[in-house]
Parts: sequence; structure tokens; C-alpha cells
Amino acid sequence: MSSASAHWLDERRALAANRFAALGVPHRRIEDWKYSDLRTAIDGANDDAAASWKIATLPEGIELFDLADVGAAPDWVKAHLGTLPQNAMASSSFAHARTGFAVRVPRNKSAEPLHVTFANAGSARALVVLEDGAALTLCETLVTDGYANLGLEFIVGANAQLTHIRMAPHSAGAVQVEQYAVTVAHDGVYRAHFFNGGAKLSRAELQIALAGANAQAHLSGVSVLGGTAHADITTHITHAVSHTASTQLFKKIAGGKSRAVYQGRITVEQGADKSDSRQTAKALLMGERAEADLKPELEIYADDVKCAHGAAVGDLDANSLFYLRARGIPEAEARNMLVRAFLEEAVDEIADESLRATVWQAVEDALPGAMLP
Amino acid sequence: MLEIKDLHVAVDGKEILKGLTLSIAAGQVHAIMGPNGSGKSTLSYVLAGRAGYEVTSGSIIYNGEDLNALKPEERAVKGVFLAMQYPVEIPGVTTLTFLKTALNAQRRARGEKEVDAMTVLKTVRKRAAALKVSEEMLKRALNVGFSGGEKKRLEILQMSLFEPKLAILDETDSGLDIDALKLVAEGVNALRSPERAMLVITHYQRLLDYIVPDRIHVLAGGRIVAEGGKELAHELEAKGYEHIVGKAA
Repeated sequence: MSSASAHWLDERRALAANRFAALGVPHRRIEDWKYSDLRTAIDGANDDAAASWKIATLPEGIELFDLADVGAAPDWVKAHLGTLPQNAMASSSFAHARTGFAVRVPRNKSAEPLHVTFANAGSARALVVLEDGAALTLCETLVTDGYANLGLEFIVGANAQLTHIRMAPHSAGAVQVEQYAVTVAHDGVYRAHFFNGGAKLSRAELQIALAGANAQAHLSGVSVLGGTAHADITTHITHAVSHTASTQLFKKIAGGKSRAVYQGRITVEQGADKSDSRQTAKALLMGERAEADLKPELEIYADDVKCAHGAAVGDLDANSLFYLRARGIPEAEARNMLVRAFLEEAVDEIADESLRATVWQAVEDALPGAMLP
Repeated sequence: MLEIKDLHVAVDGKEILKGLTLSIAAGQVHAIMGPNGSGKSTLSYVLAGRAGYEVTSGSIIYNGEDLNALKPEERAVKGVFLAMQYPVEIPGVTTLTFLKTALNAQRRARGEKEVDAMTVLKTVRKRAAALKVSEEMLKRALNVGFSGGEKKRLEILQMSLFEPKLAILDETDSGLDIDALKLVAEGVNALRSPERAMLVITHYQRLLDYIVPDRIHVLAGGRIVAEGGKELAHELEAKGYEHIVGKAA
């Protein structure tokens, strides 16, 4: 038996392959993908190529397993790999990918930050398991080119805390497709920040289940886009049980002919009373040909919940701009101040100072291009 | 210092100022009084260079220069300051950072040496105390969560910091209780100087009890319809705008 195969896995892969065969590559006539026409963007490229992943240093206390050797998978990999919901493209990556990694942070263990980089074109999978009471900061960077399809699964145990920083610097020719499937057990917390510099097409989809009481998800992100860059953040948070909480704050700057997309669906299931969700998405357009599509959605099947959502697309506030200029600040500098202040609110969601500085540097690098009309 | 001649200004194609003529010399404080809709705020915005306020005819000469040809930031650099009726809240920009950025932008444009954060802080602190602008306010985002009085005090603090040649105060009294009004007026009076001209725009006579003007102009229907000394304010207060405006018509 090949080490890249195993009976338990073959079944899951076959199910995924069938699902992908039934759904096909999404295109703009599929409601969830109407702002991101993947079929046109990848133009026949397939998922058989292997994207590469690299973990420079493995922090102490984290168990790493190479999915290329999946036939020899330990029980914790077997228990979780491929068990979370998969959209069409995650089904494809699960069926096809032969590269990837799995990490486990054992019970009550707090690990140092784990840095992982995905590169090249093709598909790859990752599984991150935080056992009860464990804590991890996962810093993920995408430097893919061509077409890459990544499927990641995060299992956040009871009282566990996963902080996830996802950096995708600008990559003009890349098509980046990611699905993050996350489940959070009771009293667990998933925090994520997404930086997008834009690609030919970039689609990051988060499917998050708040599965236990007091489970929380806090998402934030900035997209700083210029030229013809595209970046789509799509989230679906399910409040499955009562007393769960989620917040989202996404800010986007779109210059040139770029396109910023946010689709955020919140589902509050029957019985998930006392759930609290807030989502905000705002975009500033720097050019007349730039576009932002912001679509918050609520599906509420429970009573006694708090759900607030807001979305706004606009130009820089004319009153603010006039105020700064009337105080002697030149127009270009005033615009810069206002754009930075706008983005900073979302970046400030990152608690760790050095991670915040890393993201802010990426913002600074991308801003000049995004400020062009 | 400021010579406005037969000024016509349109906003969204609608003429608001219809032939306004006014001149102010250095060292003088003039007041513009007028009912709502008379064009008071339009005058303040056109002097500061706000977009959308189109000068269709007439002229604004400031120290021998066509003011209308200058951008808002260029006017500020040349000493024009507008204390706004509705100071804008700017989340994400702390008040002190804003003050430093603005001060240095003006200094840079004038070819003066920029000042460091410590020097700005010291300069601001010295002026802030008199206006009861607290350290805590300076650390907050610009005008965010400030009370009406706090916003107006911060406007006057900026005026004190930027040391303009021509200061225009647009309804600085609106929304202030009597104590706040006195505090703001004291701040303004402290800045009266032989080199500085001020234009105080107000609906009510009350402010002019504390900032006593050299001359009062009554604006109605986009023109100056009456002029006089400080006693004119009391006549307006006693008899109302209708009386004066009606007499002029």
C-alpha cells in the first residue's frame, strides 16, 4: 500500500471527488461566486499540480505530520482530516492534493508562533488541531503563482485559542483559491486577520462553526488593491448553539480597476439563543473604475439574538478632506492620512504588536499602488 | 488685508451671495450678522476655499493676492484660518498627531524648519491650558466623542497654534452654554493683535458682548444690507432682523 493512500482516506477522497464532479468549477452564474468568476480565471488549469509548503522552524511542543505520508497517519489526523464541510474547490483540493501538513498542539499547551508559507502553483491541504486548552498563533503567507487551490481545516478545542494571520501580498498573475473550514468547541476562540494585496483572482472563503457554548470567532482584514487586482473574502459563520459570539471588521481600498469583494453570511440556528454577531465591511474607492461589492447576509432561526451588520462603499469623506486641507495639509497627504486611519481600525484588531507591525508594513507597501485612480 | 468686491457665489448652480462687498484691515475685528439662509456660512467656506462654492463674479483680494486662485491648503499656509461651525470628527487620527501634521505642513510650505513632536507638545500644552483642553483630549481621535464646547475650544486652540493673519470664526458660539462661550471669547480676545484681522460670523448678538467688534455688517439675501458700529448688534437684538432688513429693502 502506498503511503499516500489509506482505506479511511480513500473513502473521504472519493466522496470529495464526487462532490467536485457534481458541482464543477464555480463561475459567475453561481450566486456565491458571482463577483469572482473562477472558471474564466483558471481557464482549464487543473488541481493535479502540487503547491509547496514550508515551515521554517517548528516551535517546541507542536507535533507536525507531513500529509505526503498520509498512509502512516496518526489517530489525530485520521480523526479530523477531511471531516469539516468542503465547498466545490475544497472538495477538489481534498480529492487531488498529495501535499500538505497537519499540526497538533496538545492539551493545555501554548506554543510559540508557527510560520508557514505556501508557494508555487497547485493544490495543498493543511490540518491544524488545537486540543482542549491549547493555544497557537498561526502565521500563514501565500507567495503562490499561477493557480493554487488550498484547503485548510482548523479544529479549535474547548477553551483553546487559535490566532491566525493570513498574508497574501500582491501577486499579479496568481489565482489564489482558499477554503478555511473551522470548528470551535465550547469556550474556544478563533481570531483571524486577512491581509490581501490582490491577485488576478483571489478568493478566501471561511466556513466557521461555533459549535459549543461561548465559542467565539473574531475576524478582521484589510484589502489594499490597485491596478487590476481582485480580492474576495467570503465568510459564513454558523452560530450553532446558544451563547456564541462573532465579530467581523473588513476594510478595503480599491484603486485603479481593482475589485474588492466581501460576502458575509451569518446563520443563527434554531436554539442558538443569546448569540451575538456583529459584521462591518467598508470600502473606499480611489478610482472611478474600481469596484467594491459588499454583501452582508443574516439567516436567523433563533429568538433573542443580537445581530448587527453594516456595509458602506464610498469615496473619502469630503468634509474630512476639506477640514485637513483647510489646516494646511496638502491634498495628497490629507488623503493618505484618511486612508491610513480608515485601514488602521481593522489592523488594530491584531493584539500582538509585532504581528500588527508586519501587517502594517504590508499595507504601507501596497498603498501607493492602491491610491492611484 | 481683505478686500471683497461685488462677490457672487453659487452653490449647485444656485446663487447664494449676490454682490457682497466688504473690507477688513489688519488689527480689526469685524462681525457678520444675519438671519439663517442669508449666506453667512457660504461666505466662510468661499474664503477657506471649499470645493463646490463657485465664485461666478467679483473678487476676493487677500494681501494683494487673488484668494480664489489658491487651494485651501495654500490659503492656510498664507495665514487664512476658518474656525468651523461643525468641526469634523476624524476617527483614527489622534488630535495631537493632527496638530503636529498641520503645523509642520504649514511650516514646510513656508520654508520654515519643521518642529519635533516634543516641541509641538510643549507649544500645544501651553496654549491648551488656557482653553481647558485636557491632555486626554489631545490623545483622543480628532473631535471624536468631543462635546460641542470641546470641539469649539479645539478650533480656538488651533487658531492660537497656527497664528493666522486672517481668522474667520463661523458661528463659534453655536451650541455653547454661557461658561463655554466666555472661555472661547477669552481665547479669541487673547489673539487680537495689530497684525491680525478677524471676521466673526454669528446669528446672535450674545457673542459680540464678549468679542467686541470694530464694525458690524448685516448680511441678508446674499448682500450686506446694513453696517455700523458695535451698537448695531443691540439694535438687531431689540428689533430683530426683519426691522433692519425690511428698512434696507
